[in-house]
Formats: sequence, structure tokens, C-alpha cells
Amino acid sequence: MQNAKDTFYVTLQSRLAALNPARTIVVRGVVRPGTLVEENELPSAWVPMDAFRLQWTGLQANSAGPLPLLAMECSIQYATDGTSGNGGMDRGRLLAAMDAELVSVLGAEPHTIPKMNYSAAGGGIAPTAMGTNVFWADPVFSAAKAVGERLERTSTVLVFAYQEAGEL
Amino acid sequence: MSDLVSATGAAARATDVLLRAMGGRTVMLRMPAPAVPTDVTEQLGIAMPTFQDIPLGPVVYRKARATVAEGKAAKWELLVSATVVESLVGSLTYASASVLFAAAYGVLSDDELLEIESATQDQVFGQPYVYRLVLRAPLSQMT
Repeated sequence: MQNAKDTFYVTLQSRLAALNPARTIVVRGVVRPGTLVEENELPSAWVPMDAFRLQWTGLQANSAGPLPLLAMECSIQYATDGTSGNGGMDRGRLLAAMDAELVSVLGAEPHTIPKMNYSAAGGGIAPTAMGTNVFWADPVFSAAKAVGERLERTSTVLVFAYQEAGEL
Repeated sequence: MSDLVSATGAAARATDVLLRAMGGRTVMLRMPAPAVPTDVTEQLGIAMPTFQDIPLGPVVYRKARATVAEGKAAKWELLVSATVVESLVGSLTYASASVLFAAAYGVLSDDELLEIESATQDQVFGQPYVYRLVLRAPLSQMT
């Protein structure tokens, strides 16, 4: 399950970074592509703007097949205050740009990618490919919400993966 | 006269004296190590950053008792010397005090780690003389 979550996040991040390299955030002093998984970061009251924040919410398991099929709900939250130099009047356009980026990367083919194991990766060691794939449905967008000068929206994607033997 | 006050940081020094006179103490600002840009395992929650505790003082709690509301974590307001904040911003090479406090993991006070909810500053002649941190107790201690 964790491998599928990691694979989906890395795929989404790399596709978003390729589509719009200018969308970045600063996390602990380092500039990164503008995506993060909230449960993997230090708890903080700070909410990054103009970036995609992933939360893993729902989970369903179907054991009818030879391997359990997991359906994981990924909630992608994003918000913008607009550009301060423009008095925030462009916040609708900035939210629309983020909508379009998400539609583009999640709708792009293929909707599937080999599941990778990142647990031993890092420090020059590449992740190892596993035996099954991760695949996902089209995103569902909630209505945009205005909180003061802030515009925010949540997109939900169902991510599917088979739970392989011995996998956590 | 105003130029003299502005240029010499007299307001910040006067605030330091007041903070010390009111029983100023030292707390620790817990800072995570900078992220590793090319290491995806940090973004996946596999590799954990190391932490560094930096003394922050003189500081004073604005009220002796925390602000407590049912169903919410207790909150404290901490007044922090602008002199020490400015020196930390310089020595740790952060762009500003707001970036420093946004990057901090929390404030360690009496062996309790409090999360920084907000950081604001009071200024005189465009120079900060005191910082106000709103600190939140861990959710495990929620009433």
C-alpha cells in the first residue's frame, strides 16, 4: 500500500514539475517542486499557497481476486491568494491554472505506472520496480471555496494497486 | 532624536531590559536541518531530518496561564527579544524572521514542545523591537 502511495506521489510530482517548472515551494530552506504529502512533512500550521498538498483519505480493499485490490482515495488540496502585486485580483486565474495542470497530468496517458519500492532508495540508490502496476481514475473536483481573499479547491483521485505478497 | 532612536536600536534594547526585568528566561527554538533537495526519500517520510535546539532569550510569557478553550489545544503567547531574533536570522542565513519561524519545528519550553501557530512583530520607526509567538500545546494534551 505504501509503495503505491509513494509511486503515485513521485509520478504526480515529476509530471507537474515537467509541465510547470516554475511552480515551486520552499520546504526547510530548499526549493522543491510544488507538491507535498502532508503526512510525510513536519506538522505545521503553515499552509503553502500555490502548491498541491496530498492527503491519503479513503481506503477500500477487495479480496475477490488472487491479490487484494486496494482502492485508495487521494485528496489533493490547493489554494491561492492571488498575486499581491495585483491586489489578489488574479486569484481566479491562478486557481484555474492549477486546475488545468492537475487535469493535464492526471488525464495524461498512461494512467498506469509500474509500482516502485522506495524504502531502500536514496543516496544514489534507485528504487526497485515491483511486479504490479499502480493505476488511477480521472480526478473529481469539488466546488471552489472562498475563505476571505483565499480561493481553494480539493480534487479527489482514486488510486488502485494490487497488494503483493509480503508487501507492507 | 527619532533618527537616533531608529539607528541605534534603542527600542529593541529597551525591550530587552523590560523582558529581563519581567523575569526573562530562555527557551529553545527547535530547527530541523535543511532538506536535501535531491533526496526523494525525505519527501516520502522515509528519511528523517535531524534537529538542532537553539537558545532563544530573553523571552517572557505574556500571561502566566495558557488560553484554554474546550475541545482545543492550550495556547500561549510568547514575547521574544528582537535582538536575539535578528542575530539568529543573520547567523542561520534566513531571509527574514518570518522565514525563520516558519521553518522552525517548535519551541521547547520546560521539556514540552510547543508548535508555533503564528509569529508577528511590533515595530518602531520600521525596526522590530519585539516578536510575539502564539504557541500551541501538543494535541495529546487537548482538554
